[in-house]
Amino acid sequence: MINNCIPNRRQCLQHAACGFGALALHDMLHAADKASGARALDFSPRAKRVIFLFMAGGPSQMDLFDPKEYISGKHGEAIDSPLDRNVTQVGTEKFLALGAMAPVKPRGQSGMMISDLMPNLAEIADDICLLRGMNADNPQHASAENQFHTGSFTEVRPSMGSWISYGLGSENQNLPSFITIHPKSVRTYGSAFLPAIHQGTALTIPLDSKSSPIANLKNASINEAVQHKRLDLTRRMNERLLDELHGDTNMEGMIQNMELAFRMQTETPNLVDVSKESEETLKMYGVGGKETDKNARACLLARKLSESGVRFVQVTMDGWDHHGDVRGNLPKLCNQTDQPVAALIKDLKHRGMLEDTLVLWSGEFGRTPWSQDLSGTAPIDKHGREHQPQSFCAWMAGGGIKQGFTYGETDHMGFKVINGKVHIHDLHATMLHLLGLDHTRLTWRNVGRDFRLTDVYGSVVKEILS
Amino acid sequence: MRNCPKVSGSLRVPSACVAFFINHRAFQAIFRFMARLSAWCCLVTANGVCLLLCLTAHGEDDITPEQLEFFEKKIRPVLVEHCYECHAAGAKIIQAGLRIDYRAGLLKGGDSGASIVPSEPENSGILKALRYEDTEMPPKGKLADSIIADFEAWIAMGAPDPRVIDELPTARVINLDEGRKFWAFQPVADPQPPSVHNESWPLDPVDRFILAKQEEAGIQPVVDADRYTWLRRVSLDLTGLPPTHTEIDAFIRDNSPHACATVVNRLLDSRAYGERWARHWLDLTGYADMIGTSNSVFAEHAWRYRDYLIDAFSNDKPFDRFVREQIAGDLMEASTPREKANNITATGFLMLGDVEIVEPDKPKMETDHIDTQVSKIGTAFLGMTLGCVRCHDHKFDPIGVDDYYGIAGMLRSSPSTHKIPFGVWSTLNATELPETPEQLDERKKLEEEHTGKIASWKAEQTKLNDEKKAIVAQIAKLEKASADEKAAATSTASQPNGEETKNPPKGSEKEPEDKLTKKEGDADVHGTGNASAPLESLTKQKDELTEKLKKLDTEIRHAEFFSSKVPKAFAMHDGEMPVDMPVYIRGNPYAPGKIVRRGALRVASWKDFPEIPSGQSGRLQLANWVADAKNPLTARVTVNRIWQKLFGEGLVRSIDYFGVRGEVPIHPELLDHLATRFMKNGWSQKNLIRSLVLSRTYRLSSANPKDVGTMGDPDNRLLWRMNRQRLDAEAIRDSILAVSGELRESYGGPALVLEVVENTGDLVQKGVNPPNYNHRKSRPSQEFERTVYLPVMRTGFTNDDRVRTFFDFVNPAQIAGQRNQTVVPTQSLFLMNNDLFRKRAKSLVDQLLAGSSSHDERLEQLWVRVLGRPITAVERQEASSFLEEAKSLIASEKKASVESLAWIELCHSLMSSNHFVFRF
Repeated sequence: MINNCIPNRRQCLQHAACGFGALALHDMLHAADKASGARALDFSPRAKRVIFLFMAGGPSQMDLFDPKEYISGKHGEAIDSPLDRNVTQVGTEKFLALGAMAPVKPRGQSGMMISDLMPNLAEIADDICLLRGMNADNPQHASAENQFHTGSFTEVRPSMGSWISYGLGSENQNLPSFITIHPKSVRTYGSAFLPAIHQGTALTIPLDSKSSPIANLKNASINEAVQHKRLDLTRRMNERLLDELHGDTNMEGMIQNMELAFRMQTETPNLVDVSKESEETLKMYGVGGKETDKNARACLLARKLSESGVRFVQVTMDGWDHHGDVRGNLPKLCNQTDQPVAALIKDLKHRGMLEDTLVLWSGEFGRTPWSQDLSGTAPIDKHGREHQPQSFCAWMAGGGIKQGFTYGETDHMGFKVINGKVHIHDLHATMLHLLGLDHTRLTWRNVGRDFRLTDVYGSVVKEILS
Repeated sequence: MRNCPKVSGSLRVPSACVAFFINHRAFQAIFRFMARLSAWCCLVTANGVCLLLCLTAHGEDDITPEQLEFFEKKIRPVLVEHCYECHAAGAKIIQAGLRIDYRAGLLKGGDSGASIVPSEPENSGILKALRYEDTEMPPKGKLADSIIADFEAWIAMGAPDPRVIDELPTARVINLDEGRKFWAFQPVADPQPPSVHNESWPLDPVDRFILAKQEEAGIQPVVDADRYTWLRRVSLDLTGLPPTHTEIDAFIRDNSPHACATVVNRLLDSRAYGERWARHWLDLTGYADMIGTSNSVFAEHAWRYRDYLIDAFSNDKPFDRFVREQIAGDLMEASTPREKANNITATGFLMLGDVEIVEPDKPKMETDHIDTQVSKIGTAFLGMTLGCVRCHDHKFDPIGVDDYYGIAGMLRSSPSTHKIPFGVWSTLNATELPETPEQLDERKKLEEEHTGKIASWKAEQTKLNDEKKAIVAQIAKLEKASADEKAAATSTASQPNGEETKNPPKGSEKEPEDKLTKKEGDADVHGTGNASAPLESLTKQKDELTEKLKKLDTEIRHAEFFSSKVPKAFAMHDGEMPVDMPVYIRGNPYAPGKIVRRGALRVASWKDFPEIPSGQSGRLQLANWVADAKNPLTARVTVNRIWQKLFGEGLVRSIDYFGVRGEVPIHPELLDHLATRFMKNGWSQKNLIRSLVLSRTYRLSSANPKDVGTMGDPDNRLLWRMNRQRLDAEAIRDSILAVSGELRESYGGPALVLEVVENTGDLVQKGVNPPNYNHRKSRPSQEFERTVYLPVMRTGFTNDDRVRTFFDFVNPAQIAGQRNQTVVPTQSLFLMNNDLFRKRAKSLVDQLLAGSSSHDERLEQLWVRVLGRPITAVERQEASSFLEEAKSLIASEKKASVESLAWIELCHSLMSSNHFVFRF
């Protein structure tokens, strides 16, 4: 049960004997060291890393990407429920059609359908691949989030970022291989039975001087010199104990991590500091913008982390859970996210990184074509939409993904997928495939069984591969 | 009817066969569910389900050339292209047990029945699936209507199909007699402790088993650990706390041969022992103070189960009795209200997992929860992974769906949740606990006080409301006067007649408040009149009152919500109509299969499961089966868990899994010896623990000899030295509190701070969403209480107890008897910078410096208190020069408390060192 995954500990000890902090201070941003712990790849990879933009809450695909004439035509009128009898919904008793709130128009050369609410994304329609047949199995946030991140909505399983970190190893010895910015539940970035080195490191964008990007990052001592002395004393004591015991892998790991932690303490503030980026870049992302600032910084940091060799970067943008007044609330979320997200794609492309970076944009599910009104008295234009795992939209871009391609089709009302269905397991299988990993072979033995991200399911969606 | 011979000739499906086909709805449901269920499905075979096979085929001879052409042109290519990937020989996984690469497969169908009823397209599942009527096949997209029409036509003509060559996939048949030969299912033996060459080494029979194997392998055990090390080790293992200065002194001075036993008895008698070992058990229960993961719905009674456990372990409740209570305490006889209450609370074991109570599909929610319960019973007591068997026979172990649903039937007969009246949510069932007369008096008093409090708040509310009304009236009057004045001024200017007195504005006293507020705003903007000063002060008074009333209102609502003080526990109870349940095909409640008799694991049974009296769930019988001395698993699994806690690794290293894919015991005889001894000693955990920690094996040093490589057993499987362990999250935090002298004794009680209004969300009884909890404010005592008493949240921890986040606390949705010991950089950041160290170090240093002792004495004290041993000469020198250096570095910044700050740094260094964070 001892999972010590720190490489080169012998090396570390030789260094450590020279004193605390004697390990060479690599430039964290460019120290793409040799990949550690990587397995042999099953295929030649099309992408080396992933950026997952998680739209927590469930964006309304009907308003953004997949409008239906049938629904718009019946806006405000009762329609037939396609739901199973055993499914209960609250506030949808009247079952009124709720048409798309803004024009959704063909964009770019490809004519991909994107709403006026996302003008920036519309500009890069030809760079992305829109998946309109996404499919998940659970209509509840926590369960659906768990399924989206781990493949399972009941059992505690490793997150996809953990699997990818385990499958590909780290590209940068100074940074965790899986970083998640503004995460929600711990289960979405936990490594479960995989070694903890593969768990996501939670990161907060410090929007004020009080907040710390990573927990416990602020020096607790009165100044850095004293802290350095203290750590040096701790190290000497630890070294002596190790000598007395004639070795202990965990203790060695602790000694080495203290060094790494100290480097994280000194370097992370620089890493999250975006002020050195060009004025143009900052503007493109929307840094400093009233609506966009937080997500702009997060997206920009995602690029920087990816550039530094972090295998899996996730940015969570919460707030899409519009049970009420979707017409009032959805534009706000679009304003907060559209510019930063599109800027990320543009920036990656500009730097030549989009070729081997896989970007995924998705919520944990979508929303119903019919309206929801918990009050029971609001006018139709103040209604929201209920959760819908049966079909929703996501998009991907980058390494190995077709550009300007729309895949998947839903029925006349936008409830069921009738073509090009991509289940969460299929999405996972496809992501692993693009990274050069066979989802049926990336396994971990636990209580007698070999576990996979895709459990016993999933097939690669070849149709969207370029 | 099994293995019907193949029938040839052109028969139509006999009605008897059709009757067996499970209805179409079930068939659809399986397809739908297959995708939804993330269970431990492995290769799907056709085992156990629908073995009735009546081949009613057209033989090849009966197919007309036209039919053959139709099949070859229109049907076969579609099947090959769209279906074979998942439903044919060679598929990685045969989905839903359905094979359609030969005629018999199509007729037999999948888990729940036929895909094709020849000549009856409307009864053929395959057609409904192709039409996307509920079931949707192929999953990637609906086929063209013309193709679907072809299939319809083909079925209508009798589904002529030349593919008669294939054999049925053979099912793995569970052979119980073979299965029982596996070591874990063999009866527990009572082997004699072996003889050894070095007779002077063993202190306990345990040591003979250990030494014999070492001698066999030519390995010498290392020397014993020194007394300080042993004392710290045994204290941490038994109580999760390091020894105090006094305890160390007492032990070191005790020269009697019983010195160790004295220590062990003291530790076992302490409440800290119960707290420590109860927490170990909680890891096997999925315990949290939240019900599910969604919306932080508080599990306000969960703490009673935790407190029950602490008592049970402290009082060394015989483990067989303990087991019975966990599964069926509510059904057991009790002689006192207290005992009854305990028995009921004990069944919290089966209640407190992660239940997704927001799931709108209630049968599915129930099935998921039952699965958690069955898995928990399997893992905690039996070391078996039963979760797999929800969907199919176990792939490796001789456990079939009949075993699973035998237990599941008992749990389904004991409903544990109910739906709340509004919205989609459910909640856990809670049982009122019987009270002793004293408890009842106490409660009545509490409730009276509570009612009194509400009444006095309400009186206050009325009083404040009256005050406010008066002020509002006054304001109105003043405003009116001011308006009149102004009007008078203007009208005097324009209309000398001054008519306005005849037309006063309507009495503003009765105006709604929001209107008033607007007026105030206006008044502030151009409040220039004479009345402005008193008006301002009145408005201020009114605002203050509004604020007070708002707060009071929240407090009253909060108090009324929590007005019942009746003690309750989340507990099991038998439902009204206990019955056997059907196998749920692929775990899907909408696809019921055959009914199975309630019972236990057949492979681990020594006789037939007893008859369950009608009207009973069977939990009591199951509890007796698990706790029976003849059960080959329970005692073995339990002593192995205890061994692992003390020696770092189990004798069976896969401590939660004793199946064929698990680890084989390194010392099978020792395992059986311990299991037998455990049962003979009345299933007393304390007795077993006492013997183990007083053994020679437990005394060994954890240091490797210099040439460990030559030992031939680098993993220490033969236990020639003690295994080192990093302290777990609770032990780290508790130990720091202990050495700083700030640890506060607690006798339990609610973990959630529900009494603080800020911590509860909207307390609307009739809301669509249930009230939730948000830990904003801790109880002041919580900072100093042991970690076991702090709330366990499913979504993560809040600031003051983040130690659990970083140091491998088991996610409360997981059932795991052994914590990981990971080494990650975020832990180091925690050790380097977390407030926990600074605060506790400061307190310790304050005490240290307040004493009148010398510099050297302070160092000595610090070492003994934090590390539990005397300081060495090297350390003394190192620490002294560190203090000097630190002082010089601090002095430049802060003069006042340089001395104290330097010592805090030193103390922090010790507390974050491996000396402290490990037990060795």
